[in-house]
Amino acid sequence: MIVAERKPLGEIIGFIEDFRKVLVIGCGGCATVCLAGGETETKIVGSALRIAARKAGRQQQILEDCVTRQCEPEFVEPVPGRLGDENIDAVLSLACGVGVNLLAERLGDVPVFPGLNTKFLGATAEPGVWVEMCAGCGNCVLHLTGGICPVARCSKSILNGPCGGSSDGKCEISPDVDCGWELIIRRMERLGTLDRLVEIAEPRDWSSSPHGGPRRVVREDLRQLAAEAEEEKATTA
Amino acid sequence: MKSGSNLERVLAAGHFAVTAEIGPPMDCNGDVVLEKARLLRGYADAFNITDCQTAVVRMSSIASAVLVMREGLEPIAQMTCRDRNRIAMQADILGAAALGVRNCLCIAGDHQSFGAAGRLKGHPGAKNVYDVDSIQLVAILKGLRDEGRQQGGDEIEQRPPLWIGAVWTPMGDPIDFRPWRLAKKVAAGADFIQTQGIYDMELFRQQMKQVQDMGLHEKTAILAGIIVPRNLGMLRYMDAAVAGVSVPQELMARMSAARKSAGDDKAQARRNQEEEGTKIAVELIEQARETEGVRGVHVQAIEWERKVPEIVERAGLLPRPTPPAEA
Amino acid sequence: MDTRAAPEAPCLVACPVHTDTRLMVERVLEGRYEEALDLLLEANPFTSVCGRICHHPCEESCRRSKVDAPLGLRQLKRFIVEATHEYRVRRRGPVRRTRKERIAIVGAGPAGLTAAQDLARAGFGVTVFESATEPGGMLGTTIPRYRLPYDVLREDIDDITALGIELRTQCAVGTDIALAELQREFRATLLATGLSESRALGVPGIDSHGVLLALPVLRAVSVGERPPLGQRVVVVGGGNVAIDVARCARRLGATEVTMACLEAREEMPAWEWEVEEALEEGVKLATSWGPRAVLSDDGRVTGLELRRCVSVFDDDGNFSPSFDEDETSGLAADTVVLAIGQAADLTCLKGSSVKTATAGRLEYDPETMTTSERGVFACGEVSTGPGAAVEAVADGHRAARAMHHFLDTGELLKQAPREELPTIGDLPEETIERIKQRARVEVGRSPGEERVRDFSEIERAFTEGEARAEARRCLACTTGAFVDEDRCAGCLTCVRICPFEVATVTKTASMPEEKCQACGLCAAVCPAAAVALKRFGAERIQEDLSRLLSERPKASPSAFIVSYCCLFETTSRKFLEENPEDVQRTGVARVLVPCVGRLSVPDMLLPFEQGADGVSIIACADGECLYPTAEERLGARVEEAKRILEEIGLSGERIELWRTRESAEVSWTSFWEISRRKLAGIGAEEQGEET
Repeated sequence: MIVAERKPLGEIIGFIEDFRKVLVIGCGGCATVCLAGGETETKIVGSALRIAARKAGRQQQILEDCVTRQCEPEFVEPVPGRLGDENIDAVLSLACGVGVNLLAERLGDVPVFPGLNTKFLGATAEPGVWVEMCAGCGNCVLHLTGGICPVARCSKSILNGPCGGSSDGKCEISPDVDCGWELIIRRMERLGTLDRLVEIAEPRDWSSSPHGGPRRVVREDLRQLAAEAEEEKATTA
Repeated sequence: MKSGSNLERVLAAGHFAVTAEIGPPMDCNGDVVLEKARLLRGYADAFNITDCQTAVVRMSSIASAVLVMREGLEPIAQMTCRDRNRIAMQADILGAAALGVRNCLCIAGDHQSFGAAGRLKGHPGAKNVYDVDSIQLVAILKGLRDEGRQQGGDEIEQRPPLWIGAVWTPMGDPIDFRPWRLAKKVAAGADFIQTQGIYDMELFRQQMKQVQDMGLHEKTAILAGIIVPRNLGMLRYMDAAVAGVSVPQELMARMSAARKSAGDDKAQARRNQEEEGTKIAVELIEQARETEGVRGVHVQAIEWERKVPEIVERAGLLPRPTPPAEA
Repeated sequence: MDTRAAPEAPCLVACPVHTDTRLMVERVLEGRYEEALDLLLEANPFTSVCGRICHHPCEESCRRSKVDAPLGLRQLKRFIVEATHEYRVRRRGPVRRTRKERIAIVGAGPAGLTAAQDLARAGFGVTVFESATEPGGMLGTTIPRYRLPYDVLREDIDDITALGIELRTQCAVGTDIALAELQREFRATLLATGLSESRALGVPGIDSHGVLLALPVLRAVSVGERPPLGQRVVVVGGGNVAIDVARCARRLGATEVTMACLEAREEMPAWEWEVEEALEEGVKLATSWGPRAVLSDDGRVTGLELRRCVSVFDDDGNFSPSFDEDETSGLAADTVVLAIGQAADLTCLKGSSVKTATAGRLEYDPETMTTSERGVFACGEVSTGPGAAVEAVADGHRAARAMHHFLDTGELLKQAPREELPTIGDLPEETIERIKQRARVEVGRSPGEERVRDFSEIERAFTEGEARAEARRCLACTTGAFVDEDRCAGCLTCVRICPFEVATVTKTASMPEEKCQACGLCAAVCPAAAVALKRFGAERIQEDLSRLLSERPKASPSAFIVSYCCLFETTSRKFLEENPEDVQRTGVARVLVPCVGRLSVPDMLLPFEQGADGVSIIACADGECLYPTAEERLGARVEEAKRILEEIGLSGERIELWRTRESAEVSWTSFWEISRRKLAGIGAEEQGEET
């Protein structure tokens, strides 16, 4: 999932304090699962903002909503209408950055602010602990590294690790961070494929990663079908 | 000769090589570099110029290298993968070669979160690069030198004559994989290797045994790293906090005894420890020299460069040979 | 949310009248004793009676039995009745007659009177004919007073007669008035005459002087007579009536009372607790013995000769005792009382065309409850055979439905003799292991030797504190967590925190009802707010809160505090009753929650939104919480709420978590006082920071 974390409320208040009527929108997807921006967090943030407004003597209305997933146009479609109907003049999104972007594209002249810091693609390590496991670099090398990602899990993303900073299985940056390469080596040892690491991994092509510019995935077949359906609708209408 | 550098020539002539380290300042005062150079001239065959070590901004390695060359020293320009992508690194190394730098040491570099292990602010918020890793960088330099080709495939006319180095942490974790990683560096094209500081000579020799079994010592010149211990605190820190460095109890005890022998006299305690540290460094050099497969030492007296001459002298490594340059 | 959605709690299902005992317990916990009484009386007009003598199948089915001991539901019922006496008198009153049809009911026992109540409430004119001087049937005439004081019975009956029923006592149908006349005068007639005759026994010497029948003895005792039974009494029989006789005999001064019954000890048909109590009172048992002959001297009983009873039932389970005539024994006796079963007195049929089946029983259709005559119905023991009081009540309800339908449509209504409801499954072993044990509150009984001195009641009622402590043990079956699948993100938070390992997730979460302990921990942390509780959910907290906050003092001299309190720690309803003036005066609005462990962070913040200065959360005393980990999890949530306040520039100290000391009544007021003082300081400090 995409793991995110709520921004400090002080920072959020700074975004929205000058607006009269603010809608806090949670997301029922990853943001819920990582306990950062679901229905309950939306209530908490909404509540905190109302308390803060009350304390500061601000005449401000804070409304709450939670959509199924903010990363789908269909799910966020009703939002602009609501903003208009209820004269809402700012939106605080508790989705990952994707949700904020999608809302920003669709909310006309109503500003949208991020309520979360989007952290990474990760998994729950234990209740309350999430760890990054994928860097979304666009060209998976997991088949070479026993299924453990050197790009996401090595602090230096090095492909011929480990560097000299590995100590007792931990990374030089913190004793809380596992050395990704230690994990890779132990894993490949178990798999009996450690010898493959003798091969030097060539400098990789990062054009598939964010370094290559904003990315998109296109399934031409589906796109084609959707376009045809759209056309048919237009002609029958 | 691949590069014709002094270091390459010393090694080629079969001498036991000595390298030392010069850390550039955090400002633009070139005199600091020049002064250190003057201090160390003649006491080693080549001098590593660190590249923003421990992720602290310092005068650039290549610029400092050019400065020490003015004093007649041969620099080894260090180059980390942390701060530059493959474009910048190739550009810089071509420039360095043009300015006469002949040795380059390829390293991953300390993570930017280091900030001099917390003693300085550093730039923990910096974005790192790690476009390529140190092994890939070795291969890139080799490609420029031997194939006349940039990493992207474009050909170049004049090839940089470089003596390419890499580092090795023989006792780093996971220790069983370390000789293999060395093998990768050698396969990538490392002409020489400088190791992480070694105190546990016995363990180092075990690792070296495997290196010899793999025949790596014949394909590259391994220089054992010697970090001069200045006091007990430093030894303890190295043991506890520096990855791949472990200090045997016996050395710790010797340093501790040196400190204690001064009683309450703090100045004396410092002197005693410095003397003991010097002794230890000299002994370690001697032991390294007796270790099969080791072809030199890399002496690091961190922020204590002036001690290097004495150590090298006491280790019986003076005067340094002056093999003739190729015609 | 409908809390009565199937399946039901086992106690409700087991009760012949489906009393919602689970909800009753909840009402007790919430201090809503009057509503609890309403609920009880709705199901059972003989609630006072059942609070004393019910054989409580509810308790037998209680799922807590597997953990430690069942809930004391009968005693809770008694507590409710006794706590609400004045209310009960107030709610009593006539119902409006809306139907012209009149109905005759023969017999003022629990079955007849229950039907009378239901039919009167349905608007019919109801006349009850009772041959005795007082209504109540067997409850009034045979159950000894130490078990059921007459005024207790009277309390139930008064409710019914107050509806406007005509009660004609000392009017024996068949003797004083013919059944046929009733059939003419009334549109429908219900025979609920019970089983009022003791069966006799055909053994040699049975006619001897000193051989008595059980019911006449009990009837005499019930009106305060002291029939001379002598020192040594042998009671023949092993049922509840036999026990009653034996225990009365001890109270009448007999020193040696022995019950001789065919059944082995574990087969005795009497309720086990009755047997235990009889033994405590010095009654002796001679089990697996059958009477062979009454021994007499000069026509006067001297003893009973017994033969070994080898088995009581045949292979098909029918009563068919077989004896070993070679093994005999004897008991000396001044009196032998026969308590071997009851039979119907069908005098009421005299001169009518209502047919009897074999052995003095009515011809009767158990589904339609009709006799052979159209418009003549029957219910209670006269048609069902011997049963418990609450079963007679259930049958009375059923008869009322049948007759109502008949009068509405002229047709017969088929009803199963017993309505079977779905219930939640047994507690799985692994759940049982995780439930904290908590001893059942017992009131105890006075020692047997003291009890036999007179006919005073042997058991006292729960005090309020005891009732509340016992109610706390309820597992709250069927009121657990449920998931809104549209909202559930399948995040596993519930699975990870459930202390009973109930929650599972396959695409969405589910908490199997038979396992869920309704602790509410999952609902408190569900990030999608997809989990709710059927009992006292979050919305209830919010409702309570907005009501209370509307009572917020306009110009409060000191801080205004919302206090979430653990309902379970109250030993009275002092803090449970909402009192707007109290809120005005003290500046404390209480929200009582069954375990504050279920409070979510939004619950803790909400009061501040609405102007509260502080939130005082009062949990139960250390280690008292019913739910494992709830205390720690609550602590973590309180910390989170404090951090939120800090983030917006309020002191986290505005939220306080207290642990009850001793009881609510002892400690809570002082907590609020401390909080109030502290808040005054905090207010000044925050003010200082801003300026």
